[in-house]
Amino acid sequence: MDWVLFALIAIPVGAVILFMLIPSRYPQLVRNVAVVSAFALFVLSVLVFVKYEFEGGNGLRFDLQLDWLENVAFLGENGITYHLAVDGISAPMVLLTGIVIFAGVFISWNIDYRNKDYFVLLFLLVSGVFGVFLSLDLFFLFFFYEVAVLPMYLLIAVWGTSSEFGTFTRTKEYGAMKLVLYLVGGSALIFIGIFATFVEAGLGTFDLIGENSLNSIAYDENFQKAVFPLFALGFGILAGLWPFHTWSPDGHVAAPTAVSMLHAGVLMKLGAFGILRVAITLFPEGAEFWAPVLMTLGVTGALYGAVSAMAQRDLKYMVGYSSVSHMGFVLMGLATLTTIGVNGAVLQMFAHGVMTALMFAMVGAVYDQAHVRDMTLFGGLVQKTPRLAAFFAIAGLSSLGLPGLAGFVAEFHIFVGTFRAGYEWAGVLGIVAAAITATYILRMLAMAFFGPFNERWAGLKEMRRGEQFGGALLIVFIVFMGVWPAPFIDRISESVEFILRV
Amino acid sequence: MEEAWLIPAMPAAAFVILLLVGNYLPRSGDWLAIGAIAASFILFFFVLADLLDNMVGTEFDKALGQSGIDWVSFGDFELRLGFQVDQLAIVMLAVVTFITLMVLVYSTGYMKGDPRYGWYFAAMSLFVAAMLTLVLADNFLLLYAAWEGVGFGSYLLIGFWHERRSATEAAKKAFITTRIGDVGLLIGIILLWREAGTFDISEIFEFAEAGGYSTAYLTTAVLFLFAGAVGKSAQFPLHVWLPDAMEGPTPVSALIHAATMVVAGVYLVARLMPLFVVADPIALNVVTAVGLTTVMMSATMGLVATDIKRVIAYSTINSLGLMMVALGSLSVSAAMLYLFAHGFFKALLFLSAGSVIHATERQEVSELGGLARRMPVTAAAFAVGALSMAGIVPLAGFWAKDEILNVAGDGQNFVVYGLLMLSVFITALYMTRVVILTFLGEPRDREAHQHAHDAEPVMTLPLLLLAGLTILAGIVVFDGVGEAVGFPGGIGEFVFLEGPEAFHFPWDVAVLSTLSAVAGLAGGFYFWSGEAEPARRAGELFRPAYEILKRKFFMDDIYQWAIDRVVLVAGGMIAWFDRNVVNDTGVDGSARLGVFAGFGMKFLETGKLPNYALAIVTGVIVLAIVFMAVRA
Repeated sequence: MDWVLFALIAIPVGAVILFMLIPSRYPQLVRNVAVVSAFALFVLSVLVFVKYEFEGGNGLRFDLQLDWLENVAFLGENGITYHLAVDGISAPMVLLTGIVIFAGVFISWNIDYRNKDYFVLLFLLVSGVFGVFLSLDLFFLFFFYEVAVLPMYLLIAVWGTSSEFGTFTRTKEYGAMKLVLYLVGGSALIFIGIFATFVEAGLGTFDLIGENSLNSIAYDENFQKAVFPLFALGFGILAGLWPFHTWSPDGHVAAPTAVSMLHAGVLMKLGAFGILRVAITLFPEGAEFWAPVLMTLGVTGALYGAVSAMAQRDLKYMVGYSSVSHMGFVLMGLATLTTIGVNGAVLQMFAHGVMTALMFAMVGAVYDQAHVRDMTLFGGLVQKTPRLAAFFAIAGLSSLGLPGLAGFVAEFHIFVGTFRAGYEWAGVLGIVAAAITATYILRMLAMAFFGPFNERWAGLKEMRRGEQFGGALLIVFIVFMGVWPAPFIDRISESVEFILRV
Repeated sequence: MEEAWLIPAMPAAAFVILLLVGNYLPRSGDWLAIGAIAASFILFFFVLADLLDNMVGTEFDKALGQSGIDWVSFGDFELRLGFQVDQLAIVMLAVVTFITLMVLVYSTGYMKGDPRYGWYFAAMSLFVAAMLTLVLADNFLLLYAAWEGVGFGSYLLIGFWHERRSATEAAKKAFITTRIGDVGLLIGIILLWREAGTFDISEIFEFAEAGGYSTAYLTTAVLFLFAGAVGKSAQFPLHVWLPDAMEGPTPVSALIHAATMVVAGVYLVARLMPLFVVADPIALNVVTAVGLTTVMMSATMGLVATDIKRVIAYSTINSLGLMMVALGSLSVSAAMLYLFAHGFFKALLFLSAGSVIHATERQEVSELGGLARRMPVTAAAFAVGALSMAGIVPLAGFWAKDEILNVAGDGQNFVVYGLLMLSVFITALYMTRVVILTFLGEPRDREAHQHAHDAEPVMTLPLLLLAGLTILAGIVVFDGVGEAVGFPGGIGEFVFLEGPEAFHFPWDVAVLSTLSAVAGLAGGFYFWSGEAEPARRAGELFRPAYEILKRKFFMDDIYQWAIDRVVLVAGGMIAWFDRNVVNDTGVDGSARLGVFAGFGMKFLETGKLPNYALAIVTGVIVLAIVFMAVRA
């Protein structure tokens, strides 16, 4: 089955090449290729998730190692290998990516302007995302990380939208530039960290997990304390770590719908995943030292994002700030350094991924027709677009932690984890932030979807079929995880225990 | 009792089917929802028989009642979804399944012709499934999940007519207000778990009784849990959502906001009574104080409310407060008896009010009046409910209220006793008022009056059944009755968790409370019959008091002020801070600093050789000096 992981990266790359070969006068062909390759990715990622079993040891499965650069003087004899594998944490992340890209292609169906170039960049980004989740070699992990981030610039700057907000303006170029500068700034820190670790370990390898790899030795405590923040901050920026989060709401507001979905749904997870896969795996003592700081920033982000979301009138800003808030929960879970809390963080990464993708998809569905996103301008939309409203409400209810939907399972684990780790204050504030989530979600639903119908929107139509399909796909997983989380937790928990060395 | 899970599973299955294919079913599938709850009602008898078979005297082996499945487990962390049947749960099952059945049958008439008829039954099924799960949950996780589930069902049904801004707002208010209490509930649950390492309720009891928690810790946790009950059971200061929740269809009010969901808080406290017993007595004092405050506030607000449904809503809050007072006096059986009786007579009141609203399309009492002539059945049913609420012998409300007065007065706590007696008087006063203004006197809206008539049989039949039960249900206090139907030692002993405790019937309490109630009735007739002249004069005489009641003790105004001036302002400030300080100053500022630095630096690049030579020479000299200084 090793070919699966290879295929997960090769398929989007292959799709990119195919897109380039198709003349731009066949936009429908481009769409068909996109949907076929996205479907293949979806099937393969489901396969990876279903087939994954921990089976003891380090839990790595479907291991694939191809020598890439070896016996080079400065690298030593092991050098850099193209090492792919999944563990219990990346398995759900791979599934998440497969779901979101499959749904995202349907949401992007109506992109007419240079749709070939759009899909080239979108699939390039996806190959990078899969690469990060699957790479066990720090060099390739970093490489794919950059591949995942950089197409974002063009996707936002070319296909995005600029917005006027009375008192200020946000152009798409500004959003794109800020996003990329921020993330590249984060990568610089990671880059330094990688080299520091490589030199300190002195093993001549970039391999992360396994025999004779970077995690097989214990690092000096001071070194851990010094290097952990490089990774935590560098990856943390992509995870919306407060106060380095402002690229996120502005980026979402500027980005086209499917890019927002991938961005909030999957890309922000790369940051949290990086913290777990690199920083916490390699530097347990550093993690312990910095955990209170990470916890404080996580809680601050959770509360701050929720309160800011409450003050927004623009639908996308609201969802953007709610992402900051929910990623704050993820960081809280990671900072507990307990199995329950970290499990919760990974669950939240998945849960937030599907529900926020659904929310952005629905915002996009409204915006495509209405060309405004100010929730106060709507009213009673449920009468015209009942499915859209229901989908939006389901995403919102999941994010406010309604039991039976994905968000509750994740948040429950995180809160329990904070109490177990002795951060009661953080747990209490987190629960309060979850209650604030209820206020801004219900406020938005009441303003935009319920109440008397605003006649201005008499011409509004229900979502396109593709959008309905994409949304329904996401809802299936929101409900599935909410009702029966055991398949997720069984996979996640043992890998988390391995990483936390309990 | 392993089949107990089927009781909530029936309406849950009905919900899923109605949601997916409801539109394609004949009559939008209302029969499916009714059939499901009827099946649950029948199952209830089987479970009850099973329970009675397993009783040894008044004791019952709790382990027998438990069943469930693992939901999540890893390491030492285990989440089970388990059901448990015990005496408390069985009382609730009786109330919930029967009243739901009545309300759903009634709804087929009341909701007829509504464009979202099918969705109504789907949402009701969802609610009932969650409510029954809440009743049967043997662990805190499932209890919390169901707790949120009923809140969500209530949100959907309050906002059922979402075209109305007021309904949408009321739904939002109800959900958020109860969610504030739920913050406490979740914190309390996690606190209990952290020491005991389990979410299982009976294991937590054992842990607490073995002294596993320190008293202060347990008291804190229990008070957090109580916050959840305060929200759900509309206790002061979170009672504000319940009157507004009357925006929902009236059968919804009868089911959710009278008989079932709002008593969930009472049920929670009753279920957790073993923890309250172990905790510091201050916890129970808080329960009593909150309950008593709620009783007094709601009773007085009921005096001036002008919407027939709101009057009943205040009477519900009043009743819930009474149940809390009973619990604060450690009497689970008194609270549960009241809960049982209250379910019938409050559902009866709401459903008859619903018939009035259905017939006249009015709900302000100022537009009603004289309806007894037009709708005799409804009027009689409503009167029975009102008298029961007022505590007139021999209706169910009398026995239940007397038991509470009895246990609350037992501790020689004359303040509590006196205030409760006063509340009996006020309750009788406002119940009489609403009966007079609605059914007696001259009609104030001729047109509405002329078209009014008793509703069709599907609506009157549930009324008659509930009225019959309201008249009869009180007899369960007599041990002989309970024993005759197979309950060991009568209902009183059956319900009580901690061992036998029969119902008492001291004559002094009964006489005094009856006198208060009759005085209330008489006062009601004096104030409001005819032109209601005395009531108007009393209102003018005590204008400030009248204004305070009319403005609902300013609670809504205070909360609105806090939301507008504190919460939203804080939100706006943080959003502004994020945009202007963090982003425009911090982020853009550092970017601009880079631009500015680049701009400044470019002037060094003059292109003239002498300038560069000068810089090189200066550099060499400075470095030489530094070098020598370091060496020296």
